[in-house]
Amino acid sequence: MPSQIVTLTVNGSPQELIAHPSTTLLRALRENLGLTGTKRGCAQGACGTCTVLLDGEPVVSCLVPVVTVDGAEVTTVEGLADADGGLSPLQQAFLDNFAQQCGFCTPGMLMTSCALLRRTPAPTRDEVDEGLSGNVCRCTGYEPIVAAVLDAAGRTSAEVGS
Amino acid sequence: MLTAVLVPESLDAARAALADEARPLAGGTYLMPRLNDHATPPTRLVSLRRVGLDGIAVTADTVSIGATTTLARIEDDERLAVLHSCIRSIAARPVRTLATVAGNLFVRQPYGDLAVALLALGADVEIRGGAGPRTLPLDRMLSAGLAADELVTGVRFDRPAVFRYHKAGRRRFNSASIVTVAAVLSVADGVVHDARVALGGLAPRPLRCEPAERALVGRPLDEASVRAAAHAADPLIEPVDDAYASAWYRRRVFPVHLRRALLGH
Repeated sequence: MPSQIVTLTVNGSPQELIAHPSTTLLRALRENLGLTGTKRGCAQGACGTCTVLLDGEPVVSCLVPVVTVDGAEVTTVEGLADADGGLSPLQQAFLDNFAQQCGFCTPGMLMTSCALLRRTPAPTRDEVDEGLSGNVCRCTGYEPIVAAVLDAAGRTSAEVGS
Repeated sequence: MLTAVLVPESLDAARAALADEARPLAGGTYLMPRLNDHATPPTRLVSLRRVGLDGIAVTADTVSIGATTTLARIEDDERLAVLHSCIRSIAARPVRTLATVAGNLFVRQPYGDLAVALLALGADVEIRGGAGPRTLPLDRMLSAGLAADELVTGVRFDRPAVFRYHKAGRRRFNSASIVTVAAVLSVADGVVHDARVALGGLAPRPLRCEPAERALVGRPLDEASVRAAAHAADPLIEPVDDAYASAWYRRRVFPVHLRRALLGH
């Protein structure tokens, strides 16, 4: 089966790309569209580092053949900051709480947290633990990340991820 | 290697596409990791994402859930609170947004906790094949499988009076099952009148455990009857070693988790 044209709205911009049947959403974002903020970790759906928002909901983009989501809206980590490059409150909270060390898990952590705060604007510690349970970090020990998400919720939950 | 991913927009088109030596793809949370990770032979997939099999219908007595309804959608539906402890025990939200009800019926143990819950709930599976629609009890479908030209279109179960669900994993959230117990109980005047018990993590597929049910019925729901139920289940379970737990460990801790599921402690 030949490659086909797929249309997506990525971070608010219409995009068109040519996808082979085996092209995942992750690969389309990184290699077709050059949006390398989204990382490839395990390619098994187990580490969460490739998490993006697909029609507003978090998904592990490594498990989605991109031809199955033709026409979808996608938000990646590149879409969190505002047009002038100003960080979102969630991103600023990650920075202020030292919630990244090597930074590889950070895009996925941000996208999962963004979705979590949209569903649960004032989460408990336990809800953050549960919400981030699909995102692996091998550096921080998670404490600064959980602190950042709770901090972001306390700042301006309405603005987070906007 | 994926050589084709078709995205039909109706059930008939999906079934026609599947006839061409293709495999159905629902959420992809079980199939895609294997395709990503291994040098697989040329594989054709038929995505069910757009065939229109998602949806939830709840009446006073029954629940019907379309085959491609995602676990996240169940999690967000207050009418399906009975399933929420089960759903939240499966993976994490970015996976539950993809994973589907019917997909969960076909994953291998120690995954498939929703199938365990549905087995305890006595769910029927709605199936569409060349000979038209048919309905099969889930335990029959799990043992007999489907014909090559058939697809699950939905599941249906009666709302239970009392539903118990307990899962032991390697950690509090997001772990495959070491032992999963789901049960529907009817207790009156302190005596168990009816029981349906299903187990996960303890056999190659979700296990309906009738000997345990017989050990409970007609007796008070207490430590002694639950111990007897675990004893009755022992010859039936066939746990395996995997990365999560050894077969020995699963068999050893099963009575503890049966007690926690049925008695809450």
